[in-house]
Amino acid sequence: MKRHVMVNGRSATIEIEGSRLRYVREDGVQIEREFSREGTSVLLNGHSYRVSQGAGSEIWVNGRLLSMEVFDPRDLRPGQGAAANHGRQEIAASMPGKVIRVLVAAGDTVEEGQGLVVVEAMKMQNEMKSPKSGRVAEVRARPDATVGAGEILVVVE
Amino acid sequence: MFRKVLVANRGEIAVRVVRALREMGIASIATYSDADRGALAVQLADEAAYLGPSPSSESYLRIDRVIDSAKRHGAEAIHPGYGFLSENAEFAEACAAAGIVFIGPPAEAIRKLGSKTAARQLAIAAGAPVVPGTESALAGWEQGSAAANALGYPVLLKASAGGGGKGMRRVDRESELQSALRDAASEAGRAFGNSEVYVEKLVVEPRHIEIQILGDHHGNLIHMGERECSIQRRHQKVIEECPSPFMASHPDLRERMGQAAVKVARAAGYTNAGTVEFLVDREANFYFLEVNTRLQVEHPVTELATGIDLVEWQLKIAAGERLTLRQEDVTWRGSAIECRIYAEDPDHDFMPAPGRIVHLSEPSGPGIRLDSGIFQGWNVPLEYDPLLAKLAAWGPTRETAIRRLDRALAEYVLTGVRNNIGFFREVLADAEFREGRLSTSFLERFFETRKKAELDPEAAAAAALVLALESKGSGRPLLINVSRWLDSGREKLFR
Repeated sequence: MKRHVMVNGRSATIEIEGSRLRYVREDGVQIEREFSREGTSVLLNGHSYRVSQGAGSEIWVNGRLLSMEVFDPRDLRPGQGAAANHGRQEIAASMPGKVIRVLVAAGDTVEEGQGLVVVEAMKMQNEMKSPKSGRVAEVRARPDATVGAGEILVVVE
Repeated sequence: MFRKVLVANRGEIAVRVVRALREMGIASIATYSDADRGALAVQLADEAAYLGPSPSSESYLRIDRVIDSAKRHGAEAIHPGYGFLSENAEFAEACAAAGIVFIGPPAEAIRKLGSKTAARQLAIAAGAPVVPGTESALAGWEQGSAAANALGYPVLLKASAGGGGKGMRRVDRESELQSALRDAASEAGRAFGNSEVYVEKLVVEPRHIEIQILGDHHGNLIHMGERECSIQRRHQKVIEECPSPFMASHPDLRERMGQAAVKVARAAGYTNAGTVEFLVDREANFYFLEVNTRLQVEHPVTELATGIDLVEWQLKIAAGERLTLRQEDVTWRGSAIECRIYAEDPDHDFMPAPGRIVHLSEPSGPGIRLDSGIFQGWNVPLEYDPLLAKLAAWGPTRETAIRRLDRALAEYVLTGVRNNIGFFREVLADAEFREGRLSTSFLERFFETRKKAELDPEAAAAAALVLALESKGSGRPLLINVSRWLDSGREKLFR
């Protein structure tokens, strides 16, 4: 069995045959180990690892939280992965919360790092900053509105 | 002693108080909002009372509903925990009016110490040293500017009614003052319903060291030594310890600070447990900061080092018992360190991370104490402070306590909500931390030089193995990362 793996945004492959595995990272680092797996316990050449699933694509291994996806290579199409971030940028709430203040209006010129919207969640106020210098194309956030994770607040172009 | 006590709080502190009540043979009543119906404290208590919808303004902060629940369930006393109504003089008075004992200081002492400006004046009168600053709330921007110029930058803006770093802003130059004032006042208004702000000279790279006090209704008042809480992020404590490593080179400092704390408490007519906070500079000068008129989040390190149960004493004192501990009975043994486990993401500017706990395996073993309010499957609500648990370690030396804490953090599996467990292991490995060279700017500097540890390919292979075996034959990704676009956006925003 051969699988493609994305670990924290970097790719690797894992091949499994019987009780042997070969893991090859995109930078060429590779390891071959004899393995045994029982539930959350993995032994690689006798070295012990504890693996536990988190939310979404998160996986916990020996105290480190990794973002990890596994694909069957037959299912993989070219051109997948994070799109290049140019031009128009949508600034979204990264968690549910409440809009406290809107600091810009459509048409404003903004600098990279300039505050756009202040969102409060769990009693902490966080200022969402512009990822680029440009012009505010659209302001969707409204003061006192409750927003969900991923909801677009401001568009900068 | 009381027969039944209501706990007007939630999370780990509600569990802590319910445990003390059970140990003392007192019936406990937990309280809950909609979000907390299934909370651990509700499960562990003898009875539970519904307060209202999830926002705390409609539940845990509703004096009328808390008092009404206490009456309905026949509680003789209310333990307020920390936060919420714990430092609310009106609440203490409402308890008294309803014939219920408030487990804490008298309403009058809360009022005297609750306003930071009034507390400063009281400390000055009692002879405790204070940081130079305005003695009352700022009337406006012009007054703030004049005061800051007179003190000299950098200055610190603070909320008169504040605590926990809310409504606090460091200002390095005059051009930043106006927006900082606006932000501090707005944040203070939201957090405390009082937007008054005052200004103080900033003590550069101080240690935050606080003194635990305990007093009864018969005139006995003692201190239980210090806790060092210098490891803070945005004025929010994250690691606390007892004793302070600074005491080793300044053997008389504990007693001097202890006496100053007792003087302030006496001047305020204080009873029950409380904490007097100080800033300490490099020359071991200490300055009165404020009094927290309640049990502190970090009280377990004092309990571990002194062997004294603070919550038990709170209950005994509130029931009118005499404090049988004399000052000379309080001794300190070994070293205790605690870290606050929060549902927040250290890799994304510590954004709060509510959600469901997918897997939980808690540490234990020699010298470990865990005060937790969570369980596997629990949904961490977004309405409240993201504190999940407090992990503390005791050892005969500070070195051993650190090793034990690190070992326990390594054992701690908590997935589903992002948390700071891994981050604490990085801090504990820091050379300055190990040497006890602490200050409130420690974390700021730590972040400047923080390097993410390289990912061990063997660990990645172990994780990939499990995922690949679980997804065998499906031909599709086992786990679909719905938020990858969101993650990449986040990383850019909070870099």
